[in-house]
Amino acid sequence: MKTLERLLQIEEEFGKEVEACADLSRLEDIRVKYLGRKCELTAILRGLAGLPVEEKKEVGKKANILKNGMNTEVQETRERLERAPAEGGATVDVTMPGLMPRVGTLHPLTQVMDRINEIFVSLGFRIEDGPEIETEFYNFEALNIPLDHPSRDAFDTFYVDDEHVLRSHTSNVQIHVMQEQAPPVQAIMPGRVYRPDAVDATHSFMFHQVEGLMVDKGIEFSDLKGVLSVFCRSMFGEDIKMRLRPHFFPFTEPSAEVDISCIMCKGKGCRVCSGNGWLEILGAGMVDPKVFDAVKYDPEKYTGFAFGMGVERIAMLLYGIEDIRLFYENDIRFLEQFK
Amino acid sequence: MKVTYSWLKKYVDIKATPEELAEGLTLAGSEVESIEDAGKEKVLSFEITTNRPDCLNVIGLAREASAVFDEDLRLPEMTLPEAAEGGPAVGCTIKSKKLCSRYTARVITGVTVKSSSAAIKDPLIALGMRDVNNVVDVTNYCLMETGQPMHAFDLDKIKGGKIVVREAVKGEKIITIDGEERELDKGMLVIADSDRPIAVAGVMGGQNTEVTEGTKNILLESAYFDPLSVRRTARKLGLSSDSSYRFERGVDKGMVVPASDRAAMLIAKETGGSICGFLDEGEAAPSETEITFDITRAGEVLGVPLERDKVEKILTRLGLKILGEDGSALTVQVPSFREDLSRSIDLVEEVARIYGYDNIPARVNKLIPQIERKKRARLVLEKIRQLLVGAGLNEIMTYNLIGEAAVERFRALSAEPVELKNYLSEELRYLTPQLLHGMLKSISWNLNRKNRDLGLFEIGKTYSKGSGKRRYAECDTVCIALTGALRKNWVEGAREVNIFDLRGAMDLVLRRLHLEPVFEPRLVEGFSVAAIMKLWGSTQKIGFGGEISKKILKDYDIEHPVYLCQLNLDEVLESAVLENHYRPIPKFPFSSRDVSILCEETVIAGELYEAMAATGEDLVQDIELVDVYRGEKIPSAKVSYAYSIKYGLPTRTLTDEEVGLAHDKLKNTLQKKFDISFR
Repeated sequence: MKTLERLLQIEEEFGKEVEACADLSRLEDIRVKYLGRKCELTAILRGLAGLPVEEKKEVGKKANILKNGMNTEVQETRERLERAPAEGGATVDVTMPGLMPRVGTLHPLTQVMDRINEIFVSLGFRIEDGPEIETEFYNFEALNIPLDHPSRDAFDTFYVDDEHVLRSHTSNVQIHVMQEQAPPVQAIMPGRVYRPDAVDATHSFMFHQVEGLMVDKGIEFSDLKGVLSVFCRSMFGEDIKMRLRPHFFPFTEPSAEVDISCIMCKGKGCRVCSGNGWLEILGAGMVDPKVFDAVKYDPEKYTGFAFGMGVERIAMLLYGIEDIRLFYENDIRFLEQFK
Repeated sequence: MKVTYSWLKKYVDIKATPEELAEGLTLAGSEVESIEDAGKEKVLSFEITTNRPDCLNVIGLAREASAVFDEDLRLPEMTLPEAAEGGPAVGCTIKSKKLCSRYTARVITGVTVKSSSAAIKDPLIALGMRDVNNVVDVTNYCLMETGQPMHAFDLDKIKGGKIVVREAVKGEKIITIDGEERELDKGMLVIADSDRPIAVAGVMGGQNTEVTEGTKNILLESAYFDPLSVRRTARKLGLSSDSSYRFERGVDKGMVVPASDRAAMLIAKETGGSICGFLDEGEAAPSETEITFDITRAGEVLGVPLERDKVEKILTRLGLKILGEDGSALTVQVPSFREDLSRSIDLVEEVARIYGYDNIPARVNKLIPQIERKKRARLVLEKIRQLLVGAGLNEIMTYNLIGEAAVERFRALSAEPVELKNYLSEELRYLTPQLLHGMLKSISWNLNRKNRDLGLFEIGKTYSKGSGKRRYAECDTVCIALTGALRKNWVEGAREVNIFDLRGAMDLVLRRLHLEPVFEPRLVEGFSVAAIMKLWGSTQKIGFGGEISKKILKDYDIEHPVYLCQLNLDEVLESAVLENHYRPIPKFPFSSRDVSILCEETVIAGELYEAMAATGEDLVQDIELVDVYRGEKIPSAKVSYAYSIKYGLPTRTLTDEEVGLAHDKLKNTLQKKFDISFR
């Protein structure tokens, strides 16, 4: 009866091992050990012939039941393990932080400038660049800004030498573009500009602008309003209202300042819009014939419009930033807010 | 420019509330910045643009209101009932007709100087002006009302009985009525008597002839001074007055005499004086300009058909006269107070702003389809930005004006800087010829705020003295800097950045633009470890980078290693390739062989790589450095490099024998060229 006892022992050992088994490769080892070609059970079954008939019957029956039982258990355990989490089993804590790839940020001014640019690019405008160190002709004279005139006060300028200035607006590029190409012209000029202002929360000697220019036969004031209205609604929201106020710029006639309904209070009046519900965001107008004279376009034949806006101002409004200096300090706790 | 609501209403019968008035005028171009209470009065503050000096007075603004609200304008009595004569004789000579085209003086005798009546002083006080006496207050009242600055002298203090309008002599002095002594210069216009200046023309009167309580007889000046001259004088003296503000913008040449008459009448009334003789030197007001204004053409420029009646009404309300009509063309006479109107387009604006910009429709139907909307260089720059952001770096923007110390610190690395003539401060004196200073300042700012792990880049311009046609050069430049542990997590722990992270960023940018960077080890000032960069196949140095020296870091108060590079993008923008071309994916698998090279530390890894690449002919498909070992298992001062090399052909699978031969050949070449052994 020793063999029968041995079978019981095998069953018990197998049971323990399977219960302790936590992964598939261990299970395979167990299977090979108890059910493989060279396992003890196989040996016992092979040795049945040498046993007395009674015992042979009993052991044979028992051994086959054990074999089937172990096979079933291995199969069930395998299925259980395959469903269970891998390595470490149930100890993986999925609430642990993920390993997020590090991705940087574009500067908020780049992002705002890109947004502005893309709106105009989608309308068919071409992006033009030009020099920041510029002659007085391109920065002032060609734009109908006389040398010694109160209108020049608004355009205080850094001088590099007697003829060269740091451009005070990107309008210089308008002149270059018109000198280089015949109408039609449809372009925007983003870029860096300079004015000798002491730095404080709302002033900077260096800032960014995007200007635009469209010249062709039959361009009307209503085209200016149309393009700006598309821009304002794309930039600030479809329900934004826009109004134009007459203003004066030497390089446009008629000229306008463009307000949008306050994006904070929706025009009800708040601190941001000084209570009047409107935010000034653009200067615009029909290109003054004197500017056309300067670039040798025929003012009788062509009309056009131009506009310009400050990128910092728009970014400050969009994001609710109250100090312009934040843009140039580059604190990453600031930069990383603009994902 | 401030005006009370009640004063405006004296000249135009508007029914609008102060708020409605403000809104109406704002939308017509005279922007009201605020409405404030001053006692019972409402004070409107206007921002008047430089082209509209005619709106720097109450009548001018009333005229605007009359056009906007379509109400009649009522002007005050401005002509003396009869020309009075007599009184002490005073002579006048204008020595500089260029700077003073007209000078008038009215004598008023027997005045009693005292406090002025409420009718005169209350409106001034409401506007925040100081009341002085019944003579000065009237000149101020008329200045506000008509826009014509006037000055009253104590006639008995004028020496020699004559007025001379002349340029100042250099060094000449005058004490102005604000009590300051002013040193005058050539080019400044003064009003003088026979021996001294008694006023800085158009800017401020002198104390020596000031009207005081003892004054009996006065001389009232009303003149037209050259705007430019007044502007320069006021600027040079650092003295701006209500008078100079208006003169420099241009006063109404037609108002010189009427304003004087109006003031004389009011002074006589206030002081009990008698209006006497009048001097009028120089040119009379010029004849008024005529402009042909085509209504149809104006409608085409604005994009709205204009009705003749409406146009004529607007122009008339604004003080212009319609002289005649020819089809759709009007002949329009421009009054002397509107010198800003000289062309038909100027009248288009006049009509448009009163008609209302809001009443002009908006349309979008003239857009021009353009194929190239971004130039290639811009696309390349955009791609570089995206790559660096994708590589985990934050874009920064720095001020590009820097000081002398910052220029000098990196002198060896940069071109001749451009200096500003009128710099704001020493720290903002030069246009930066490099991006290192701004970058290190930003790093320092962050480190001081305990932001220790930084991967930053800036794409900006560097400026230098140019050559040839362009006197100044502006160059697109990128600067990248790394410090701290950029890879940091709970699985791998924190790894401090090293110079190869920096190189990796450069490799990424350039290779994604289909360019092959070459790094050559060099000594670079300001760096403790450094290389210069070229593009493969070019001899031009395009940048430098490495580990910033301790000495430089100290200048920025930085205590952690900083890896930084700066790349001039001119050549990159030129040679970058944005287009991708498809090459068939290899159909036949490559075979890998490893080689472990043991060599002296002096052997340069880049040269090993070059040699392997060169001997591989077309069988070597890839060379990858998989391990570098220094340590106990090999002799000291030696290093072991393990490379994995992929061999293959696009047309068939290589046999083991062929791969073996190629690999042996590669090893042989290495051994011949370098003092190395294999492990």
